[in-house]
Amino acid sequence: MNCPHRKNPMIVLELANVETDYCPNCEGIWLDSGELELLIEDSSVKDELLNFFISDKQIKEKAIRCPICRTKMEKVYVGKEEKVIIDECKHGHGLWFDKGEILEVIEMGSLNKENEIVKLLMEMYSHKISPNKKEEG
Amino acid sequence: MWELIQSNKRKSLILFLAMGIILLLLGYFIGGMFLGTNGGGELGVFFALLIWAVVSLVSYFAGSSIMLSVSRAKEVTKEVHPQLFNIVEEMKIASALPKIPKIFIINEEAPNAFATGRSPENCAVTVTAGLLSRLNRDELQGVIAHEMSHIKNRDILYMTFAGVMLGTIVIVSEVFLRGLWFGGGSLNRYKNRSSGGGSGQAVIAIAALVLAILAPILARLLYFAISRKREYLADASGVRLTRYPEGLASALEKLADNRLDLRAANKATAGMYIVNPLKKKGMKLSDLTSTHPPISERVRILRNMSQGAGYMDYQNAYMKVKHKTERLIPNSVLDSNEKVTIRDTSVSKETIDKKNYRRNLGDLVMNVNGYSFVHCVCGLTLKIPPTYKKSEIKCPRCGRINKVPPRNKL
Repeated sequence: MNCPHRKNPMIVLELANVETDYCPNCEGIWLDSGELELLIEDSSVKDELLNFFISDKQIKEKAIRCPICRTKMEKVYVGKEEKVIIDECKHGHGLWFDKGEILEVIEMGSLNKENEIVKLLMEMYSHKISPNKKEEG
Repeated sequence: MWELIQSNKRKSLILFLAMGIILLLLGYFIGGMFLGTNGGGELGVFFALLIWAVVSLVSYFAGSSIMLSVSRAKEVTKEVHPQLFNIVEEMKIASALPKIPKIFIINEEAPNAFATGRSPENCAVTVTAGLLSRLNRDELQGVIAHEMSHIKNRDILYMTFAGVMLGTIVIVSEVFLRGLWFGGGSLNRYKNRSSGGGSGQAVIAIAALVLAILAPILARLLYFAISRKREYLADASGVRLTRYPEGLASALEKLADNRLDLRAANKATAGMYIVNPLKKKGMKLSDLTSTHPPISERVRILRNMSQGAGYMDYQNAYMKVKHKTERLIPNSVLDSNEKVTIRDTSVSKETIDKKNYRRNLGDLVMNVNGYSFVHCVCGLTLKIPPTYKKSEIKCPRCGRINKVPPRNKL
């Protein structure tokens, strides 16, 4: 699979039997919904994550294409005052997080941190979480 | 078995010829319209046949390799998936095919399968990784038996030719209609050019126009009718091979549940798969224009086979579910004494670790595709595609720099 930004090849990361796609160049992350569907038997956990984001057609960020179906992805956001905008495939193939966005979303705190996927993501990309926390403290 | 193939061939041949006649009529009238009544029609027929012959030859000799490369399928060896090989071998023996088909895997989540090849000696069965990870042995056997029945019944070759003929009809009428549109040609121009034509020429022109609009629609309906019948037949012969209708039934149910589209499929190849790989959300495909019979109906027929797993049993279930007296399988083939008893399930309540299983399978497919695996000290595994050119990679979990081992060249 190639990164939606510059078409660089993405690498696959695996931790505790869960895979995500990661672009070593732009540090963006692709969450594949097919992968999530298969690995998390409780589908409500997955839906919780996917329905968490609100669609907004007004956002004027450059549209990027889904790495799977190559159609333009929708801009969705999370947060009330400071919005984090991420990209979601219209055909339900998955979510794209640009560099650091996944952490912003998680640290916003509104996501259930007990959610299996969230836990795993925090663990998987922990190298980038810790320096941020050090800066704060 | 052979007789079934024969009668199958006869029925399909009629539909096939009907498509052929449509193509010839189309050629005749378009030719007649442009080139006049003296010999123009014949020339049109000649060109229509020529196009069809060329495309047919290409698809006969290169069809399956084109299909396999379009769907990005990778051939696998026995080591990659022993169970799949085992099932294919078993079904090869049951169906008395002369050779074990080649086996391909597509690395995709959407579960689906198809068979390709021009003859039983030269064929392949392809499944997706998603199919392997979702189905148990009985279900997988049902799907493989269905695909092998397509090979055995010579459906593939036949559908390829019918598909090509459909394509030719569509192309010829499209080119004609567009040419008319963009050429700004009024029908009168052609009428006046021909010397003695008069009203006869106008009739031909109108006939060509009407035909060019109707032919693709008619040809499509014929094509779909053939395709659907063959799906039922492949179900019937598949079940007879496995003696276990429930296997295919629950596999079809699982496939119907899937909401993912197959990325590797497109409109042209959709008819080849065991279930339609392209779904239109919120739209119920009409029965007439679908390449596949509705899955729910196929499942219901299979579940109604309580007496046995022979053709007779399928026939009875088919007629019961469809409330039709029309026979799917001709009487001459049905041997009322044939007893194919349903066997018990072979799946003991297996508790395979689904995640692990899926992961191992995915890794194998990636391996086949030339990925290299880097295990970082922190526990994260990095799977690097052959297209990644740098020799080092930073672990996003712990920040360590890992060396990328040299890749096996593909």
